[in-house]
Amino acid sequence: MNQFVLQHGRSPELRLFPHILEVGIKKNGSIQLNTFLTTATEGLRIYCIMEGRFEWRIGQQPYVLYPGDTALILPGASLGSDNSVLDIGAFAWIHIGIQKQDNGQIQPGRWSGLSETEGAAIGKILLLNGTPVLSRFSEAGKIIKCIYTELFGNEIGYQARINHQVDELLIQVTRQMTKQGHSGRDFPKTFMHLEEVLRRNLAHQWTVEEMAALVGLGTTLFNERVKNYSGFSPINYLINIRISEAIKLLKQPEISVTDIALDTGFYSSQHFSTTFKKLTGYRPSEFRKNHLRNK
Amino acid sequence: MQCIITIELGTNGVRVFAFDLDGRVIGSMKGYHPTFHTEPDYSEQDPEQIFITTLYLLKNLLNEYVHPKKYKVASICFCASMHSVLAVDRNGIPLGNAITWADNRARQEAQDLRGSALGKTLYAVTGTPIHPMSPLLKIAWIGHHDKERFRLTAKFLSIKSYIIHQLTGEYMTDYSIASATGLMNIHTIAWEPDALQYAGISSDRLPDLAPIFTTAGRLKKAYQQSLNLPAETKILVGSSDGCMATLGDGVLGEGKATITIEDSGAVRVMGPTVLKDEHMRFFNYLLTENCYVSGGPTNNGGNIFEWFTRQFGDFSHPYDIESSMQQLIEEASKVPAGSDGLLFLPYLLGERAPIWNADARGAYFGLNIKHERQHFVRATIEGILYEIYSIGKILGEQRNIKSLSVNGTFGVIPFWTQMMADMFNRPVRTRQRSHSVSFGAFLLSATEMGIYKTLDEAAGTVELPDVYRPDKQRHAVYADYFAVFEKLSTRLSEEFEAISALQRKHVLPQPSLTPIKN
Repeated sequence: MNQFVLQHGRSPELRLFPHILEVGIKKNGSIQLNTFLTTATEGLRIYCIMEGRFEWRIGQQPYVLYPGDTALILPGASLGSDNSVLDIGAFAWIHIGIQKQDNGQIQPGRWSGLSETEGAAIGKILLLNGTPVLSRFSEAGKIIKCIYTELFGNEIGYQARINHQVDELLIQVTRQMTKQGHSGRDFPKTFMHLEEVLRRNLAHQWTVEEMAALVGLGTTLFNERVKNYSGFSPINYLINIRISEAIKLLKQPEISVTDIALDTGFYSSQHFSTTFKKLTGYRPSEFRKNHLRNK
Repeated sequence: MQCIITIELGTNGVRVFAFDLDGRVIGSMKGYHPTFHTEPDYSEQDPEQIFITTLYLLKNLLNEYVHPKKYKVASICFCASMHSVLAVDRNGIPLGNAITWADNRARQEAQDLRGSALGKTLYAVTGTPIHPMSPLLKIAWIGHHDKERFRLTAKFLSIKSYIIHQLTGEYMTDYSIASATGLMNIHTIAWEPDALQYAGISSDRLPDLAPIFTTAGRLKKAYQQSLNLPAETKILVGSSDGCMATLGDGVLGEGKATITIEDSGAVRVMGPTVLKDEHMRFFNYLLTENCYVSGGPTNNGGNIFEWFTRQFGDFSHPYDIESSMQQLIEEASKVPAGSDGLLFLPYLLGERAPIWNADARGAYFGLNIKHERQHFVRATIEGILYEIYSIGKILGEQRNIKSLSVNGTFGVIPFWTQMMADMFNRPVRTRQRSHSVSFGAFLLSATEMGIYKTLDEAAGTVELPDVYRPDKQRHAVYADYFAVFEKLSTRLSEEFEAISALQRKHVLPQPSLTPIKN
């Protein structure tokens, strides 16, 4: 396949696809200086290595990428290489315009066939994930080539097909990302990972779908495994963490009960108070008074 | 109609049981809470999460099984893992997380004390082996390395003491848990001045000592209401998981021993005298005055088989480790006893009894060209159980063990139970639905209520219906191979030290996917 690049605003092929900001394949035969400039954009960029070996910096961190590796550059994150060197090799990439919500979450636009909740869950998982490199994941490259074929072929239904392919790419990348590092063998380790992410983002209104996707499982299997391992449903386990953290904060006098409620993921201080009292028998303020009194 | 509730604060979670007065289970629940390893040697748990987990389970157990059937709760009895330390300030507020038995930060303190004359004296009077697990050494570590926390600490509690304090406001610890701190004199039943001095504290910074039958105050009003329990509900301070597993199997009396295999394992005996050992290999913990639970613990129990399963098991169903283990056990059963001469040293986590060597590491030995995959499976299980047998063997030098019982998740797997019967050449008793720890706590509560006059009488009523009888031929094979196993476990000590030093030196970075280092 030849190299090419299409850009939003310049290439007529993309006129019907305003959410595709750039798509292309690059083949580079000799090391070139000052060509791979460090950039950061508002969109989501996906690069798939086809040949060669690339030393890139993604969000300041150095990575070495090999054929089959896929790099995911989140909105705002930088991509470049030291001295702007472009190494020898070939890669395909796509740059997708993605909506950024006021709360910092990202979501595909109206072109997407994903429902609002599924789109939001995918956005959440992409943002949460620690590593920007998916190893041995060449599916992304295949999808980009397919988008290329459709863009130049203009066969009947190509418009729908291209949007399907972009959705497919987002879904595949997200699934791969959650499965990577979860071999299906070590549930304690997987659960520990989940537990860490929940604690770091306790204020987020977690859904079971999001939690399940984080560890690469469907919700049915996820519910069953969590219940079997921990004795709790995922939501009840989450509430336990929330209340435990809240108790710790209540024992420190400086934070207000309302702030504690929101920091630990309750909708409101009312919701916090009801849940807290149901489990402990105390309203949060009573609990605080009882435990701050010097004995 | 009365019932007894038991709460077990275990290593990975909390288990609650409701028993009727005949010892039948009315209902039970379990709840997980995590262990944090913020540093390689650290092992910590969140006391508030343990408290919330306990409260949640207790409330649900009551609402689901106890209140609807109009049972009146006679008592709630606690038992817990040993060796935990939680520092709290003068308001009873935790200063950081609780440090669990598995924490190794006091490695250096333990090494220094173990080699000293004071170490030998303290072992003899406290019954607790000199090891980083011991609260004695953990408190000393806090004194040396975390001076601010040490200064602010009003009390050094165990996790159980903290949970009881949350529920009733009392600071109390029972003889069993206290006897596993390395700070209590098990002969005089008082905090040991020499140990206190070594730890750098006075006895007012420890909770009050109480016999296991003691009522630890009344439930606070708010909990009486939220749990719908009357004020007079007894909260019994209870005992430790090790002591209760032994009592729950009815091991009181001459000639009896019990084997526990959960993630880790232990072989224990119970009686009026302590085991003396110049090599300091045994623990001697206190159940009641003049009744000691003694034995040896191993680090490498079911967790090693789980490790093996994760590496080599079939996981076509994600995370279904139970079926994977079952499948491997079926494979192992097709290999003859002795694994055709393949031996496994199970020291993946270092070892406590009998070799007490934190540097010990695992090995497969005797491999020849005819060995196949399934030999490794069987050899792995055999290695774990040879280690259990080696503890039993040195116990046998001081006690004449005639009958054995087995409990714990892994211990009661029939293939494992039979293997132990064959190795020990003794009949082994068990019950399939094993919950020996909680049943021990039930017997304790029932004795407190006067249903049994003494713990002896209570233990005498325990029936273990399943009996596995030894096979002479298999025993002979195991005995032959064990001789080599035993030699390897002690002869390799120099190589263990060398390899673990190298493993610490060349700590491998996480493979792939983490950013490369410049």
